[in-house]
Amino acid sequence: MNKELRVIRVFAVALSLDISGLASAATPQDLLKTYEAQSGKASPARGEQFFNAKHGKEWSCASCHENPPNHDTKHIVTGKVIKPLSPNANPARFTDEAKADKWFKRNCNDVLGRDCTVQEKADVLAWLMTIK
Amino acid sequence: MKNFFTCILATLVVAPAFAAKMPMPADAPKSYESECASCHMAYPPGLLSEKSWQNAMNGLSKHFGTDASLDAKDQKEISVWLQKNAATKQKYNVVAPDNRITKTPWFIRKHDEIKADVWKRAGIKSPANCGACHTTAAEGIFSEKSISIPAK
Repeated sequence: MNKELRVIRVFAVALSLDISGLASAATPQDLLKTYEAQSGKASPARGEQFFNAKHGKEWSCASCHENPPNHDTKHIVTGKVIKPLSPNANPARFTDEAKADKWFKRNCNDVLGRDCTVQEKADVLAWLMTIK
Repeated sequence: MKNFFTCILATLVVAPAFAAKMPMPADAPKSYESECASCHMAYPPGLLSEKSWQNAMNGLSKHFGTDASLDAKDQKEISVWLQKNAATKQKYNVVAPDNRITKTPWFIRKHDEIKADVWKRAGIKSPANCGACHTTAAEGIFSEKSISIPAK
């Protein structure tokens, strides 16, 4: 391959990596806005109640994340350490939309036996953002 | 003759230590840590047979009472790797009841002196929590020397 072409190609790859990196990066505020745009205004109080209540099954969100979820906790079955869920206690939380949605899908199914609505996600996230 | 006995003795002493080693292959995909080990220990693939891993990976939406579903890419990557590195020794190469490592005959025999109430201690919670007692489980070392059973 011609040297110039190779340089361009390396550049293009670097650029595409950069763009894809940006696309997945987000802040909890960004994610909350996205959820609110698809539902209604979030209510931290409703989120708190939702988080701590059982929904017809054995576990609540707090079964594994505890209340307030601002410290290391343990998985209720396996004992594996779970890092704090509040973004104030753990800045890595809710910075990747795909990751947040993956865990909502799994954990909502465990706690509610169904997907969470976007409004429920917005409420919980709004409450988590208030926790110090 | 003396050499012969030394040899047998060495085998007897060394064999259990080998059996207690189950290191993680160096080529574990990142997804194994991020997807599986976020909820439980990253079990060395050599602890289950190829068939048992295949069964476990085909039922992730109902994974021991929880939804552990993966996207197609991660599912395939992890599944292929687990099966490639599955148990080869005859002792471990068994179809595990319910796909549980903790229900294999070798696991039950190895832990037969542990009473039911010990498993339930807050510091242990479950037989699947290897690291609660095997202090070097994360490095794949399960030898008797590195066992410390939590009192509570």
